[in-house]
Amino acid sequence: MKNRLKVLRAERDWSQQDLADRLEVSRQSVNAIETGKYDPSLPLAFRISDLFGLPIEAIFLKD
Amino acid sequence: MGSNPAQRRYIGRMIPLSIAYMLAVFGASSVIPDGAAATPLTVIIALVPAMAVLGFIWAMGRYLTELTDEYVRLLEIRKALVATGLTLALASGWGILELFTDVPRVPLFYVFPVWCLGLAVGSLVNKVTIGDGGPC
Repeated sequence: MKNRLKVLRAERDWSQQDLADRLEVSRQSVNAIETGKYDPSLPLAFRISDLFGLPIEAIFLKD
Repeated sequence: MGSNPAQRRYIGRMIPLSIAYMLAVFGASSVIPDGAAATPLTVIIALVPAMAVLGFIWAMGRYLTELTDEYVRLLEIRKALVATGLTLALASGWGILELFTDVPRVPLFYVFPVWCLGLAVGSLVNKVTIGDGGPC
């Protein structure tokens, strides 16, 4: 699944580690989600959505 | 390893268990002579190191359940699945060979070490298929 995580992170000038700390996951996880290697669970997707203040469908896009 | 609380707790459990295992193996081999009969006493002494092995398995199970990072947990579970599949395949394959041919008998003791080696293979599979080996 594609996502806009990298763009949203860059807009806030956050590193992958910054985002990982805010989401309480590893930097490895953020990298895997950003690169599309891993689709997050619904609870984690909601945490990402809450953090950016955007609906899930504005962050994660259908292929 | 050791970058998150679950990993640190895992290491904290494995170190004393490893020391207990080595002491128990050393103790059992000092007390029980080679080829001793299976009496209640020798069985009980021989099972002491086995308790430490059960402790290793418990620590691994706790590690998987305590991991809060879902992606890292996925990598670890994939490693365990590869290790399990590999161990089952090797044990079943060799067991059938033992049944029909005169290949050397392999002690069941080796099942757990083979499974642990399978984790390394699982890490390699993760690296090749996802591009991420996971924690070592």
